[in-house]
Amino acid sequence: MTRRILVIFAMLALIAVALGFYALHLKRKVARDAQVAAEQQLAMAPPGNGPPEPVTLYVANDSDGTLRKTQITVSLPTERSERDRAVLGALLAQYLKSPSSHPIGAGADVRQVYLMGEDTAIVDTNAAFADAHPSGVLAEELTVASIVVTLNANDSKVGRVKILVNGQERDTLAGHADLRRFYEASNLGQVVKDMQ
Amino acid sequence: MTSRFPPADNRSPQWSALILAVALFLAVLIAHYATVHAQSSDQFTVYSPQTSYAVPLLDEKGQPYAGLVELLEPLGSIDAKPDGKKYKLRFTPPGGHQAEAQFTDGKDKAKIRGDNYKLPANFVLQNGRGYVPLSAVPELLTKLLATPVQLHPSARRLFIGDVPMRFTLELDKGNPPHLVASFPSPVNPSIATEPGRVRFTFRREPVVSSGHDSFTFNDPVITGAVFAEHDGLAELDVMGTASLMANFADGGRTIIVAAVPPPPAPAAPTPTPQAQVPPPAAAPQPKPPAVPRFLVLIDPAHGGADIGAAITPSLAEKDVVLALARRVQRELANRGIAAGMLRNSDVAISLDQRAVSANAARPALYVTLHAANTGRGVHVFTSMLPAVNLSREGFLPWDTAQAAFLDLSGSVAGSVAAELESRKLPNTTLVAPLRPMNNIAAPAIAVEIAPPDDNVENIAGAEYQEQVAQAIAAGIAAVRSKLPEVRP
Ligand SMILES: [Zn+2]
Repeated sequence: MTRRILVIFAMLALIAVALGFYALHLKRKVARDAQVAAEQQLAMAPPGNGPPEPVTLYVANDSDGTLRKTQITVSLPTERSERDRAVLGALLAQYLKSPSSHPIGAGADVRQVYLMGEDTAIVDTNAAFADAHPSGVLAEELTVASIVVTLNANDSKVGRVKILVNGQERDTLAGHADLRRFYEASNLGQVVKDMQ
Repeated sequence: MTSRFPPADNRSPQWSALILAVALFLAVLIAHYATVHAQSSDQFTVYSPQTSYAVPLLDEKGQPYAGLVELLEPLGSIDAKPDGKKYKLRFTPPGGHQAEAQFTDGKDKAKIRGDNYKLPANFVLQNGRGYVPLSAVPELLTKLLATPVQLHPSARRLFIGDVPMRFTLELDKGNPPHLVASFPSPVNPSIATEPGRVRFTFRREPVVSSGHDSFTFNDPVITGAVFAEHDGLAELDVMGTASLMANFADGGRTIIVAAVPPPPAPAAPTPTPQAQVPPPAAAPQPKPPAVPRFLVLIDPAHGGADIGAAITPSLAEKDVVLALARRVQRELANRGIAAGMLRNSDVAISLDQRAVSANAARPALYVTLHAANTGRGVHVFTSMLPAVNLSREGFLPWDTAQAAFLDLSGSVAGSVAAELESRKLPNTTLVAPLRPMNNIAAPAIAVEIAPPDDNVENIAGAEYQEQVAQAIAAGIAAVRSKLPEVRP
């Protein structure tokens, strides 16, 4: 009897350990799959197919809380919303470089830009953009302001911008900047002046 | 066991082993989860004559330990620093004499006000912070504050001085019969009702029983009451045979519990018999004379599960801003300005609730504090209001409550920035789309501190925080005459 209990107990312990390993394996697999999916999504960004053209970026700088106007040359798609998306992709690429004047979370990307009416753009970002964004009043404001002002500088019709995350409205970017509202490029013009 | 389960050879042994294994695995998981859960909610409540606050507990070899800084900061000014294995602490209670104490990591010998003192267990120094066993806290505080201190260890409640509020219960068999709970000073418990029971939960008030914990009443409607204290709070349950409701009287010193009256007979819209508990604010209270006063409301952002920014893996924004808020409060007091705190412990408050509480307090100025590990120095913000033409569709004053105060908010921000500048602290002044600034119906600024230099941890340094707190307080004091006092 005691021997049988011992054997059963040993089996139980073994099975418990095995189940533990299986759980760990599953956890790793989920993480790996998520990474692969994120990489695929990055790879899917449409390559610019037009001739190289100048793009104006307002690049945030954490150390003094400013936006710096810079020009780069990129090939852009011809369709307007795809162009807007590519412009923002170029802006985020500045932040994802290392070192960066305004680092944001790895994997941050713009999934889609939807144009509504004459002057409104809805910028749909991916989860990494918000989930891994550094938390802070100024850091979050700089990201939002640089997106709105950069969009307006390259597509002057865009006067209002709203930012979504994974197709959904969010309360805040990373605890501070309000994402429920529309941002006005004209309203941020003064902010940019103050920031410069 | 054999009598309850069929003999093993009746079914496949592998099967029963597997079922048991799964059960065992689940049990381990549940036990693990329960431990983690218990640890995360472990804290105790301190009641002092001035304030009440929660102090998180650290589990050290199965014994609860309390952080000295978290414990002492709300009670006076504290200056503590590790020095190798030693931990030196200077503490001055308001209006009292400075006391010095010295502890050593891993040792139970300590020195307080020059006297040797033996802790019931070894002192712990972790990440530059000092922890003492919870059981040592009463004696330690008694020595440092020169006031008697009482700990209810299993209830996780600590009382400093003569704060315990003893209540009495009396059943009045009048028509209708009602239970009268009397407290020595006003209380503001949260109230939950269910059929046949109403529960009052006291988190901030040092309510204790006057000897009896359970009461039975010889009444057909209100049958009994039970008082209990646990997990840093006190609860009073009143039981009955009907739906019960509570009313406050005597400025919140008295709670009256009675059965919910039956709905009026005529075809009036049927009122629901439950949830008839009016909030204490709606209770008939003698109105205090409405003297205009100048109150600054400090809102240390985040709290509870919302830790804010992770300044370092072990330093959370919510803790950095609470420490800064207490310094600002003291610096304002030094300049003769009364300041209230929207939170004075590690509690979660939603953004909307912050705005509601702030507006209800009717402050002359609202100051919210944030901290971040990006950038340098201090960022001062006023509200970034949405453009006016946006607000037309579904216009809500709630969304633009700040608009009327923006000029004054700007004056305060400018004044604080000037004080930062004169102390040579790097600073930036901006508008920001920060919630809940737009909803504040008073002059309002936000201050975000970033590290002073390359060492991010210096954001919590006493010297830097004190400089910033002085600049904020001096900036407010300089424009005080411009800000209207408010009738409460
Ligand atoms: Zn914050």
